[in-house]
Amino acid sequence: MANSLAISGVNAGYGSVRVLENISLSVGHAETVALLGTNGNGKSTMMKCVMGLLRPTSGTITAEIDGERMDLIGRSTEEIVDLGIALVPEGRRLFPKLTVEENLLLGAFRKSARGAIAANLDSCYETFPRLKERRRQLAGSMSGGEQQMLALGRALMSAPRILLIDEPSVGLAPILVQRTIDKIKELKERFGLTVLMAEQNFNQAVRIADRGYVIVHGQIAFEGRDADELNNNELVRKFYLGL
Amino acid sequence: MISFDLLINAIVAGVLLGGFYAAVSVGITISFGMLDIANIAQPAFILLGSYAAYIFNSAFHIDPILVGVVMTPIFFMIGIAVYRLYYYCFEMRNEQAIQGLAFFFGLLFVAEVSLILVFGVDYRFVEAPYIGPSLHFGMFDLPLRMLIPCVISLAMIGALQLYLSRSFIGRAILAVSQDGGALQLIAANPTRIKEIAFGISIATCALAGTFLIIIQPVEPSIGRDYIGRIFAICVLGGMTSFPGMVGAAMLIGVAESITATFYGPSWAPAVAFGFLLAVLAVRPAGLAGR
Ligand SMILES: Nc1ncnc2c1ncn2[C@@H]1O[C@H](COP(=O)(O)OP(=O)(O)O)[C@@H](O)[C@H]1O
Ligand SMILES: [Mg+2]
Repeated sequence: MANSLAISGVNAGYGSVRVLENISLSVGHAETVALLGTNGNGKSTMMKCVMGLLRPTSGTITAEIDGERMDLIGRSTEEIVDLGIALVPEGRRLFPKLTVEENLLLGAFRKSARGAIAANLDSCYETFPRLKERRRQLAGSMSGGEQQMLALGRALMSAPRILLIDEPSVGLAPILVQRTIDKIKELKERFGLTVLMAEQNFNQAVRIADRGYVIVHGQIAFEGRDADELNNNELVRKFYLGL
Repeated sequence: MISFDLLINAIVAGVLLGGFYAAVSVGITISFGMLDIANIAQPAFILLGSYAAYIFNSAFHIDPILVGVVMTPIFFMIGIAVYRLYYYCFEMRNEQAIQGLAFFFGLLFVAEVSLILVFGVDYRFVEAPYIGPSLHFGMFDLPLRMLIPCVISLAMIGALQLYLSRSFIGRAILAVSQDGGALQLIAANPTRIKEIAFGISIATCALAGTFLIIIQPVEPSIGRDYIGRIFAICVLGGMTSFPGMVGAAMLIGVAESITATFYGPSWAPAVAFGFLLAVLAVRPAGLAGR
């Protein structure tokens, strides 16, 4: 059954500061969509609006989960996660003084994920063997790459249908960025996820994205219907590829 | 030989006392250690537990421990109510640091004055068949009024430890002070989690208070003796660890008992803080800090 996300005409900001202006974007069933933009253009703000962490001043955000369409605006973050939407947040937001395994188990707090906790933990460890090796270690003592894996693993433990990922590459060495992006593709295929990924690492994001949007100063400046369109766009070539 | 005998008995008495101290300190380990709420009114709730046991024991001759067990869910509800008040008045507005401390200090003061008005300043005690007799094993002397609270206290703490490490809400309680916002992202409401945890921290006072009045007669100002001691045990144990807290409680119980046996009881309270300072000098995170 279909899982998708539709954002239409969203305006949002912090106090009197307007950040998002009339943003519309969509993520279709089982698609990986990239939200591309350099620092401070509003990617994380968009993610916060979807997750109910920030309320848009206008516009609509709806999600279709297992074929059922729901309005997200006005719901609390907890409710939205309960519906089956998970966010791997900027900065990862792990529980540093809990072990790797305790972090993962907490990921399954969502009521409908509790029943399958053992199976999900197994498949998490299968996807990230490193996490299994380190399961008794405190999350805060792990390297940046391992923490990003744990953040992805914790989000997957909630058995989401739609996964939002905010800048998975940030703070990682280039070789780890590549590995992390590959993992996201693998996870998406393995769990049949619908993915919206915010990134400023254009080349890496475009490797796995089906489509993408470029966000500049809180507005969608360009919509690429496939990787080729993104790669060949004037704006992208100028800002991201330095051509 | 006589002093060796005394020493062994002082250690045994100290361990039993430590078991009781653990029951008194477990609530603070939850509220102060895990939630960052410096509930200095904790001894007031413990005294409330003592007086509840006293009322039902003196009026209806009900076993005080049974009263403690029955009062536990009621104390849980009281804890939830107190947390809500604290949350709406201070935490929600980010004013918990100094105003919150004043709130709990006020609570302690009001509780003490109310107890004086209702019960007077006389010492109150309870009656039960296990207050008085002792078990004897060779040279060991185990008074039941110390042994029973110690055993039940350790069982209660073991059950709480299981709850925290095995249940979803328990694990969320361990996480909430590290990043409450991240809890929302796993579908847990941090305020609700803190409310439950604070409720549990007050619920433990029903039994801890019962143990207190079994071990010694109680009057309203006695709670003050415990404020320093329970915070010292919590910090010494590493703030968030139950095994660490139990170890710290036993250590302080034994140290106080030995001091009282060989140097006189008036030195005993100073020992708790001497220990605290010595341990923090060597291990700033306490005995079992993460
Ligand atoms: N909590 C906040 N309060 C005020 N302004 C904010 C806050 N978070 C972000 N901003 C501002 O909103 C704009 C967009 O930020 P953000 O969404 O984090 O961008 P990105 O994720 O693309 O780097 C920036 O100008 C930033 O300064
Ligand atoms: Mg960002």
